[in-house]
Amino acid sequence: MMRKKIIAAMLAGAMVLSVTACGGQGGEGNTQTATNTESNTTSNAGNDTESDQAETAPAAEATGPVELVVTTTFAGEDTNAQNYKDAVAAWEAETGNTIVDTSASSSETFKTRVVTDFETGSEPDVLFFFTGADSNSFIEAGKVVSIDEIRAVYPEYATNMNDDLITNSLVDNKKYAVPANGIWEAMFFNTEILEAAGVDKPGADYTIDQFKADCEKIKAAGYTPIAAALGNIPHYWWEFAIFNNQSPATHLEIPASVDDANGQAWVAGMNDIKELYELGYFPDNTLSATDDETFAMFTEGKAAFLIDGSWKVGGIVGACQSDPEDPSTLDVDKLAKFDVTYVPGKGDRKATDLIGGISSGYFITRKAWEDPEKQAAAVSFVEHMTSDSVIPAFAQHAASALKNAPEVDESEFNILQIKAMDMMSGATSLTAPVQDLFMGDCRVSTFDGMPEIVTGKVSAEDAVAEGIEAYQNQ
Amino acid sequence: MGANIYRNKKPALVFLLPAFLFMIVFLYYPFFKNILNSFMEIKQLGSSGTSFNSPWYSNYVEMFQDENVWTSVKNTLVMMVVTLVGQVGIAIVLALMVDNIGRGKGFFRTVFFFPIVISATALGLLFNLIFLYDKGMVNQLLEVLGKQNLTDWKAEGIALFTMMLPVMWQYVGFYFVILVTGLNNISDELYEAAKIDGATTLQRVRYISVPLLHNVICTCSVLAVTGALKVFDLPWVMFPKGMPLKSTFLTGTYMYYHTMETKNVDYGAAIAVLIVVLGVVLAKIVNSIFREKDY
Repeated sequence: MMRKKIIAAMLAGAMVLSVTACGGQGGEGNTQTATNTESNTTSNAGNDTESDQAETAPAAEATGPVELVVTTTFAGEDTNAQNYKDAVAAWEAETGNTIVDTSASSSETFKTRVVTDFETGSEPDVLFFFTGADSNSFIEAGKVVSIDEIRAVYPEYATNMNDDLITNSLVDNKKYAVPANGIWEAMFFNTEILEAAGVDKPGADYTIDQFKADCEKIKAAGYTPIAAALGNIPHYWWEFAIFNNQSPATHLEIPASVDDANGQAWVAGMNDIKELYELGYFPDNTLSATDDETFAMFTEGKAAFLIDGSWKVGGIVGACQSDPEDPSTLDVDKLAKFDVTYVPGKGDRKATDLIGGISSGYFITRKAWEDPEKQAAAVSFVEHMTSDSVIPAFAQHAASALKNAPEVDESEFNILQIKAMDMMSGATSLTAPVQDLFMGDCRVSTFDGMPEIVTGKVSAEDAVAEGIEAYQNQ
Repeated sequence: MGANIYRNKKPALVFLLPAFLFMIVFLYYPFFKNILNSFMEIKQLGSSGTSFNSPWYSNYVEMFQDENVWTSVKNTLVMMVVTLVGQVGIAIVLALMVDNIGRGKGFFRTVFFFPIVISATALGLLFNLIFLYDKGMVNQLLEVLGKQNLTDWKAEGIALFTMMLPVMWQYVGFYFVILVTGLNNISDELYEAAKIDGATTLQRVRYISVPLLHNVICTCSVLAVTGALKVFDLPWVMFPKGMPLKSTFLTGTYMYYHTMETKNVDYGAAIAVLIVVLGVVLAKIVNSIFREKDY
């Protein structure tokens, strides 16, 4: 009996110990936190002095070691993925701070992740994110700091930028994000396929009718005219198809109803894509392919045209390197086969009217701003990433908001970047994408629903009407 | 005194409490909260519902009118049949065959079980390459065999097959190992006696192995059917957003689609409730069909 009691006592003791051990781990963590807090306090003291200095000295000077969590879209095939890594490494070396990078390629999943991080209180310290409706939720919640508020403490913050080119928030018309580089959307093409099909290089006066005639020749020559995954990323075609039925002046007007002029323009745009699909100009597997697959078709010389953004220049260059990570392995002859031009125009929209602008920037979160240890580091990081010396590497062939943009040295650019700069020099207007204003579930019926529209399972009118209704319910 | 120690239940309660609390925090609270969320209007993932939908049951009305819900339920039911026939069925055949070979049992056990240890996401990426339209392994093989045109293995008519094949393949080994263990538990004396009585190998399988495996097969079947309800990662990696034309949605992937992609979080919560109801009903049916026998 006694033995059973002893065993029971031992078991109970073991359980208590294990629970204590679990608690102990937490306790250890707590101790660690306490230690961290202590070091924070020590650092804070330093930073208080630093803040004082900041008020007199314009630029933030972060003294390490501070760890900042940063999220950007400079990842994957983004043109600036390597530039971003280089700039971060330079800042880390200069300040002794470290960056915990949680960057990912831009996608709806990425946007959801960022917004959810804010909702759950696990937002990064600094983020490079979209300044359109995507950022509304965390601006509404007061979770990012406006540039004016930062300038009240760091007067020189982002003063190298032209304020007129910094996007105002849709929520309160304040400026929150310091831009790095602009973007444009245009049409890449493979010169080899065009030559093989007897098609001339498209120019500034390219129309949709000429485009269709060229597609017919390309198809007859045995190539796929357009590289696009309508079941995965119809975004660019969606944008330009609508733009082609409007004008730069009306493109940012979201229809109040499917029956008004803008609503009808949107319907016409969807039907234009349907027509191209029915003509067989998209890949055979356009409804089941991913964007990566159709992009590979383009870079491998199987598809002639690709509508995409300025960030895709890097993807094309990477596809022309035997080692995508090593620029010295670039096959210059292969890259020379690619060119970029204007998306064919229609009606009031000239081909040279582009979609683009400066629609992203660096936000500093309230969490980092109110952390005395991180505040100066976050400001210093954004200042570094948006400095006159770093921005040109990011902007390349696209615009920037710098007041004193340095002269572009073409010798530093590859052939496709130079072609892109030539193309941009002929642009007659730059209009922001309307899809940046048309966010959330209102997009579903025409983005995810594009396969249903082009196959006729859902009419363009119904899909647009559903989207407008969802937009109005937001 | 000796028996009193077993009458005192208090120590057992102390031991049960941590697990009970864990279940409340991580299972029951989210479960009931999800039911509540399905009636609320939620704009963003992670945020709380601010008001009830109008009418409060609107998500459930929408669910019954949503063609994609029916497609996903139908696909999930097909997946169950496929897992029963394709996973458990093939596993039975493989287990019986391996049980009847003299050497190499360990080798086959390892080979058939191996896919289980690979993550479903990695397998999804692997099969994406195998079924790739341009330069995929299958299409290259067909090209070598003289086929002129490329086959789109993810096209509408064939997508479900392409999705279910790797799911089926992945779990065959799991049921195979369970069944082989069941076969090992059958006494060799029964086989020896049958052999002396002149029974052929097929007769021994038919009249000894299969009847004595009944309970193990029942367990595998219940696991397979309930497991089919939870299949998510591999189909999502291969067919994101129910591509093509929303024809490959399963209940799990459709719930994820609404929660994560369209930001219609409350509708996703309503679909989650449907999944639970479906799971409970199907588990009851399967348990009554595959009832274990007492020997």
